[in-house]
Amino acid sequence: MEVLSFLLAYFVFPGLLFASVFGLLFMGIDRKVTAHMQHRIGPPVWQEFIDFGKLLGKEDITPAAAQGVVFTLAPLIAMGAAITVMLLLPINSAQPALTSAADLIVIIYLLNIPAICVMLGGYSSASPFGAVGASRYVVQLFSYELIFIVTVLTAAVKVGSLSIGDIITYQAHNGWLAFKLPLATAAIVVAAQAKLLRVPFDIPEAESEIVHGPFTEYSGPKLGLMRLAYAIELFAVAGLITALFFGGPVAHTIAGVQIPGVVSFLIKTFAIVLFTTNIRNIAARLRIDQAMKFFWTIIALIAIVNLIIVVL
Amino acid sequence: MSFVVPIGPQHPALEEPEHFRIEVKGEEIVDVDIRLGYVHRGIEEALSKRTYMHGLFLAQRVCGICPVSHSLTFLRAVEEVAGIECPDRARYIRTIGAELERIHSHLLFAGIAAHEIGFTTLFMLFWRDRELVLDLREMLWGNRIHSSETTIGGVRWDIKPNQVPKVLRNLAALEKEVKHYIDVVGSDRTILARCANIGVLTKQMARELCAVGPTARASGVNWDIRRDDPYAAYDEVPFKVITERDGDVLAKILVRLREVLESIRIIRHALDAMPGGPLRTEFKGRVQEGEATGRVEANRGELLYYIFSKGGEKPERVRIRTPTYANIPTVKPMLVGGTIAEVPIVLASIDPCFACTDRVTVVDRNTGKSKVVTKAELRRLNK
Amino acid sequence: MPRIQLDVLKNLLRKPSTVKYPHFKAELPERFRGKPINDRERCISCGLCAKVCPDRAITYDEEKKPRFYLGLCIYCGRCAEVCPVKSITMTKEFELATYNKYEAVSK
Repeated sequence: MEVLSFLLAYFVFPGLLFASVFGLLFMGIDRKVTAHMQHRIGPPVWQEFIDFGKLLGKEDITPAAAQGVVFTLAPLIAMGAAITVMLLLPINSAQPALTSAADLIVIIYLLNIPAICVMLGGYSSASPFGAVGASRYVVQLFSYELIFIVTVLTAAVKVGSLSIGDIITYQAHNGWLAFKLPLATAAIVVAAQAKLLRVPFDIPEAESEIVHGPFTEYSGPKLGLMRLAYAIELFAVAGLITALFFGGPVAHTIAGVQIPGVVSFLIKTFAIVLFTTNIRNIAARLRIDQAMKFFWTIIALIAIVNLIIVVL
Repeated sequence: MSFVVPIGPQHPALEEPEHFRIEVKGEEIVDVDIRLGYVHRGIEEALSKRTYMHGLFLAQRVCGICPVSHSLTFLRAVEEVAGIECPDRARYIRTIGAELERIHSHLLFAGIAAHEIGFTTLFMLFWRDRELVLDLREMLWGNRIHSSETTIGGVRWDIKPNQVPKVLRNLAALEKEVKHYIDVVGSDRTILARCANIGVLTKQMARELCAVGPTARASGVNWDIRRDDPYAAYDEVPFKVITERDGDVLAKILVRLREVLESIRIIRHALDAMPGGPLRTEFKGRVQEGEATGRVEANRGELLYYIFSKGGEKPERVRIRTPTYANIPTVKPMLVGGTIAEVPIVLASIDPCFACTDRVTVVDRNTGKSKVVTKAELRRLNK
Repeated sequence: MPRIQLDVLKNLLRKPSTVKYPHFKAELPERFRGKPINDRERCISCGLCAKVCPDRAITYDEEKKPRFYLGLCIYCGRCAEVCPVKSITMTKEFELATYNKYEAVSK
C-alpha cells in the first residue's frame, strides 16, 4: 500500500505528470507573454508539449568522442532529482508528500543536481562549445548558490524550523514572509533568475555566442528529457519560492465552494513565473564576470543584511 | 595553453559564413586568424560577360541589404565612362532611395546587435519599425529591398504626389521611435555593461587600417563621401556628418542610430525641394573607350567600383571593393585582449556584410601579375 | 526603472503588429511586381521582352508568344516597361512555390 501510494505520488501527483504538465504549460505561457511584450503573436501555449513530442520521435545521436555513459545518464538523473523535489514541496496542504525533519536542506541539495548534470553533460560531450558552456555554468553556480542558501536559511531562522511544513503553518497564522523579509525575497527572486538560466543570466546557454552551451550536442529524446527536466525545475524553484515566502497552498472557501490549496499554489507560482518573464524581456545578457560581480556585491549584501536582521 | 575556438563558417552569431579562428587562453583572446572567401560567387567575371544594363541588375544583387548603393556606384562609374548625365529630378529620387536604404540597413544592424547581446525585445522592436521603411519602398517602387528603381541615365518610376503623405507619416512615426531607442540604448544598464568600452578602435588605428563608414566615424575620423565627394543630390541637400569619440561598440551603435535621424531629415528636404523634369536620359547601350571609378557612401562605408571599357556593349573589367572588406582588418585589434563573450557583438559592430566581401584575387609573386580567380579555376586549383 | 519597461507593458495591451499569414494577408501596393503574364491577343511578337530580360528568362513558344520561366525571373518589370503595346503586366501574385520548378512557367 505504501509502495503504491509512493509510486502514485512520484509519477502522477505531485510528481512527474503534474509537474511536467504544469511546467511545460508555464513555459508555453511564458513564451506567449514574451511574444506579446515584443508586439508579436508568438507560438501557441501548447508549443512546448508539441516540441517535446516531436523530440521524442527524432534520431538519438551521441558524438563518437563523447563519454557515452555520462552523456546518456545526465538528463535522466536531472529529471529524477527535479521530480523528487516536487515530492518534498507542499502542493495541496501544509504537509508535502514526503516529510522529514530537515527537508529544506534536502531540497537545496536536490535542486543542485540538475545544474551538476547539465555541467556533466556539457563536459562529456566532446565539443568546445559544451566545454565553454559548462565552465561558465560552474562560475555561475558559484555566484548564485550562496545567495540561494542564505535566503532559504533566513526564512528558516525566522520561523525557527528547517521543515517546510512548519514554514507554511507559520505563514498561515502570521501572514506572508515576503512582507516580513522583503530583502530576502528580492534576493531569492534574482538568484532564481540565475538558477533557471534566464536573461540576464543565461550566460551558460548563450545562444548567439556558443551555439547552445552544454546542450549543444544533445538531440532527439535526450534533448527532450533535458528540456523536460528544465521545465520541472522551473516549476519546482518557483514553487519553493511560493512556499517559503508567499504562503504556499492555502485552501479557500468562496461562496460555499471548497477550493483546494493546489489552486492557490498554482496561481502564486504562475505569478512568480510571470515576474521572471518580465525581467527576462527588459535586460540584455551579462558577461560571466559581470554577473559574478553583481551577485557577490549587491545581492550578497542584501541577503546577508536580511539574515543579520533576523538573527539579531 | 592556448585553445582555439572556431567562430564560423557556420555559427549562430554570423548571418553569412566566414571563418574566424580565435586563439584563447581561458576566456581571454590572444590572436585572431581571419579567413574569407566562403561567399565568393564569381560576380566580377559575370559582369564582364553582360551588357551594362544587365550588369546593373547583377551588381544590385551583390548584396542583400545595400542594393541601391551598389546600383548608384555602378551607375556613377558607367555614366562617367558613357558621358551621360542624370536629370535633376532623377538625382533627387535616387537620393531618396539611397537614404531609405540607409535607414533600413541601420535598423537591421541595430536589431542584430541587440540580438547578439541577448536583448531580444529590442531586436523585435527595431525590426518592427524597420517594416515602416520597407512598406514605403514597396509602395514607391514595387519591392522591399531589391527595388531596381535606378537605371542607366535616371530612374524608372516617379514619386507621385499622392504617395508623399504616407511617406511623411511613416517617417514621423519612425523618428519618434528612433529618438526613444537612442534614449534606451544610452541609458540601459545592461546594454552599457555589454557595449561600453568593448571593442575599442582608436582614431589612430582607424586611420592606419583605413577603416571606412560608421566604423571609422565612431572613432572620430570625420570622413563621409556624401559631403567630401558628392554624388546624386547630396551637394544640394544640407546634412550633418555624425561622429563619436570613443570608438567602442556603443559609439558605433549610436552613430548609426543618429544617422537614421539625419537620413529622415534628408528625405524630407529632398521631397520638398524636388524639381520637376524628365526622369531619364537615353542610353544607347554602347560606350566609348575609357575607364572610370565610382564611389559612394554605402550603408557600411565607402563602396568603390572601377570600370574599364574597351568600347562596345560590355565592360572589359569591373572591380568592386566593398566597405566590409576595408573594415575586416580592424576586427583583430578590436578583439585581441577581450573575452570570447565579446566576439559576436564586436564582429557585429562593424556591420559586416560578407556577401559583399568575397572577391578573391591571386597574386603571382614571381611575375608580379594579379588576376581574378573564377569559380572554375578555384575548383581546379583545389583538386 | 529601465525605460524599456514601459514599452514592454504597453505592448501587452496593444494588438500585435504581426499578421497571422496565411489566414490573413496584408494589402499589397499597386506598384507591386509579382508574376508577369502576357495578354496573348494584344501581343505582337516583337521580341523586345526577351531581349531586355536580364536573366534570359523569356523564351518563345510555338505561337511565337513569350513564355516566362519563373525559376529564373527576378521580377524586375523590364519586360512590362519595354513592351510597345503594354500586353505584359506584373500581377500581384507572389505565392509561386511549386514542387517541380521546370513546370513553373507563365504564358
